[in-house]
Amino acid sequence: MTIKMPAPDEGILARRDEIIAALREIVPGEGVIDSEREMMPYESDALTAYRQPPMVVVLPDTTEQVAQVLKYCYDNGIRVVPRGNGTSLSGGSFPLADGVLLGLSKFKRVREIDFDNRVAVVEPGMTNLAVSEAVAHEGFYYAPDPSSQIACSIGGNIAENSGGVHSLKYGLTTNNVLGCEFVLITGEILRIGGRAPENDGYDLMGIITGSEGLLGVVTEITVRILKKPETARALMVGFAEVEAAGECVARIIGAGIIPGGMEMMDKDAIHAAEAFVKAGYPLDVEALLIIELDGPSIEVDELIRRVEAIALDCRSTTCQISNSEQERLLFWAGRKAAFPAVGRLSPDYLCMDGTIPRGKLPEALAGIRELGKKYGLRCANVFHAGDGNLHPLILYDANVADEMQRAEDFGADILRLCVKLGGVLSGEHGIGVEKRDLMPEMLSDIDLAHHQRIKCAFDAKGLLNPGKMFPTLHRCAELGRMHVHGGKLPFPDIPRF
Amino acid sequence: MVQTLKVRDAADVEGAIREAIAAEQPVDIVGHASKRDIGQPTEAATVIDLSALNAVTGYEPHELIVTVQAGAPVSDVISMLDAKNQQFAFEPMDTSVLLGTSSGAGTIGGMIAAGLAGSRRIRSGGVRDHLLGGKAVSGFGDTFVAGSRVVKNVTGYDISKLLAGSWGTLAALTEATIKLVPKAESQVTLVLRGLDDATANRAMTKALGSSFDVSSAAHLPVSETRAPGDALARLGAPVQALTLVRVEGIDVSVANRARSLAELLLPFGKAESVDTEASVEIWQALRDVVPFAATSPLGNHVVWRIVCPPTAGAVLGTALKRDTGGEVIYDWGGGLVWAALSPAADAHAATVRAHAAAAGGHAMLLRAPKEVRAAIDVFQPQAPGVAALSRRIKENFDPRHILNRGRMRRDDLP
Repeated sequence: MTIKMPAPDEGILARRDEIIAALREIVPGEGVIDSEREMMPYESDALTAYRQPPMVVVLPDTTEQVAQVLKYCYDNGIRVVPRGNGTSLSGGSFPLADGVLLGLSKFKRVREIDFDNRVAVVEPGMTNLAVSEAVAHEGFYYAPDPSSQIACSIGGNIAENSGGVHSLKYGLTTNNVLGCEFVLITGEILRIGGRAPENDGYDLMGIITGSEGLLGVVTEITVRILKKPETARALMVGFAEVEAAGECVARIIGAGIIPGGMEMMDKDAIHAAEAFVKAGYPLDVEALLIIELDGPSIEVDELIRRVEAIALDCRSTTCQISNSEQERLLFWAGRKAAFPAVGRLSPDYLCMDGTIPRGKLPEALAGIRELGKKYGLRCANVFHAGDGNLHPLILYDANVADEMQRAEDFGADILRLCVKLGGVLSGEHGIGVEKRDLMPEMLSDIDLAHHQRIKCAFDAKGLLNPGKMFPTLHRCAELGRMHVHGGKLPFPDIPRF
Repeated sequence: MVQTLKVRDAADVEGAIREAIAAEQPVDIVGHASKRDIGQPTEAATVIDLSALNAVTGYEPHELIVTVQAGAPVSDVISMLDAKNQQFAFEPMDTSVLLGTSSGAGTIGGMIAAGLAGSRRIRSGGVRDHLLGGKAVSGFGDTFVAGSRVVKNVTGYDISKLLAGSWGTLAALTEATIKLVPKAESQVTLVLRGLDDATANRAMTKALGSSFDVSSAAHLPVSETRAPGDALARLGAPVQALTLVRVEGIDVSVANRARSLAELLLPFGKAESVDTEASVEIWQALRDVVPFAATSPLGNHVVWRIVCPPTAGAVLGTALKRDTGGEVIYDWGGGLVWAALSPAADAHAATVRAHAAAAGGHAMLLRAPKEVRAAIDVFQPQAPGVAALSRRIKENFDPRHILNRGRMRRDDLP
């Protein structure tokens, strides 16, 4: 699989040895990796279909080193790709042949925990789960919980505004981050926000969160931590029709109940997960909802009763309620393992990520089924039903001629469908390189120009993570002067990828 | 002579802004103009009035979202949501009590541009956390779409966050989609009496750090001059110090959590329990800062809104009272300190800013006469790097500084 990236700068490549020597001055010892063999782990992220060794990998371990590396790159016109733990599913940290891959994996420390103010100050290379583990001894946790939380970094979570099962009730990364230390491409170190519940001035933290590493490099993060709910119980509800499951989701929300998590799996996903983890999932249903209620036990018991009644009213065919923590975890085990489980069904799969309005779930699933027939490929669906974030898994075999291309086309059509239904191209994995060229499906040239102007305010030379998110390169000075009219592309001479 | 352009639709807004760009003349963007006395005073010769853009373009209770035009009255939208047992989680502040302007005024656009949230913010987030997206006209005279209408979205930058709290300086918002939450079945406020500020701060910290899902915590010290407002007077304010902690949710849970919380707070005294109806009024009074109302004995005082780490609130407030002789009340568990200080040409800015900085917070002058607001920085001065970045953002959205020029920064000139 190939994707067109900005053409490597031959002048930079010719200076490779000199650049590596300069970077070694800033980050001594093993912090600079330049051998082909040692750079192999960095040639892709979790979107493994795309591979490209970087020019050099740099692994600083202080903010000052990050600042110096960025300043050097800025002064010398060198492109930089930031990387956390490399779990991006959209190629957000896909390297560039003429670029520095700036890894934050050494930034793994907890800088401070302030239980009284309910915040933790952590470094971006910590895994999401490690943040919760660091505060667990006082009964606290960090709410956003992407499925990859055991591996993904908290810095990467900021880059992608990650969510997870809990985001329905407790919000996304953007709702749980109070501040950060942040280095601009010029090497300037800024502090944004902190322990106060609200920031002053423009909401810079809000724009940095979800910016896919295009605006700067985060070196410290202040996150909000929450006291763990007293208890959590889950229901596992099966439906003979997908539409009934969709209706159940809407009715639960409509009844004023916001579950701690509400996830749906379709028949293919249920069968794959059951074969993988033996969670006791019903195999004769078309859709399965896992609904978790958390809070004081008296509240959870009452809400379980209400949700069960709604499910029955929506023609559920099976309903199991967890009666122990072990059972609750078992319900979730299949959902959490759905991706690897589906991976066993097929040599390859493509994991898509789009969001639709909750009420359009049945329509979206019907549309995906139709598209599956058109492309002659199977697609298993697992998704965050509570917030409409779909994760269709398109099964294909890369060894069969044209299957990969069909899978990619199928995936693009699913995202077009999401946009058509009032949704978006990405709910939590980001645009990266994967969905970059689909951006015009959702955003007009004028919309895109305003997005690019944000980029220009942070990185006027366009050196940070170029080739991601935007389908077209822009020169900031011209973008600032121009006036876009009638949706016409302003600079037809600028190369599109 | 100020010219008012009452626009009919988004195309009119584009036209008006393009004219302003061509003439290189700034414009003020207003809805009901209910917050025009907040911020640095502006001097634009043209006002773009968005109040006719007041339609609800989509309300989907099952989706928990509402899409409205920027000129829609907040009070109307809240009534509409109320009928479906839904609400804005962030409790938008009605500034009319504090400013002495007509009550019930204020538009959705103004609510978002100001980003002033009430007591529940400490648990549920502010306006920025619930704004999903919208349409706006930038200083290029172009309508652009920010965000989306779904709750999970990582498609480009989250521009809607930038618009919340930007006081109309980046773009004129014409339509917004906002996330909603169900209204709680009931709420209970626990009342502790007679605590000093530091002890009250500790009590609030304990409550907010519990697993009982406290949604608000506030403290009102004793005062000889402060207006109580009816709801607070019934509890004994301002003669007695009151520490208030709220829990909300389904009936059975609220009763249970309130009991457990009262037990937890026993070391601070025996808590009284106030039920839903009175509780709603209490938190509405705090949201709108009724104790410092324009019509109150402190009506001529300047009012600062200081945000700091919650545990720093009492130290900050106590020092401010000591150094200025003013009055404070605490919300957000101590993370929001409202200070009413005696009239002064500089509004005691140096003292307020010094204490806010020592606490790790920031201060905004919310109420003061125009000449006072013109003489000092109303919004928190920023570190040079952050200020420069903010200015670059402004210039990338409004290169000629047409929109609400000078509203947030005195040096806001092209």
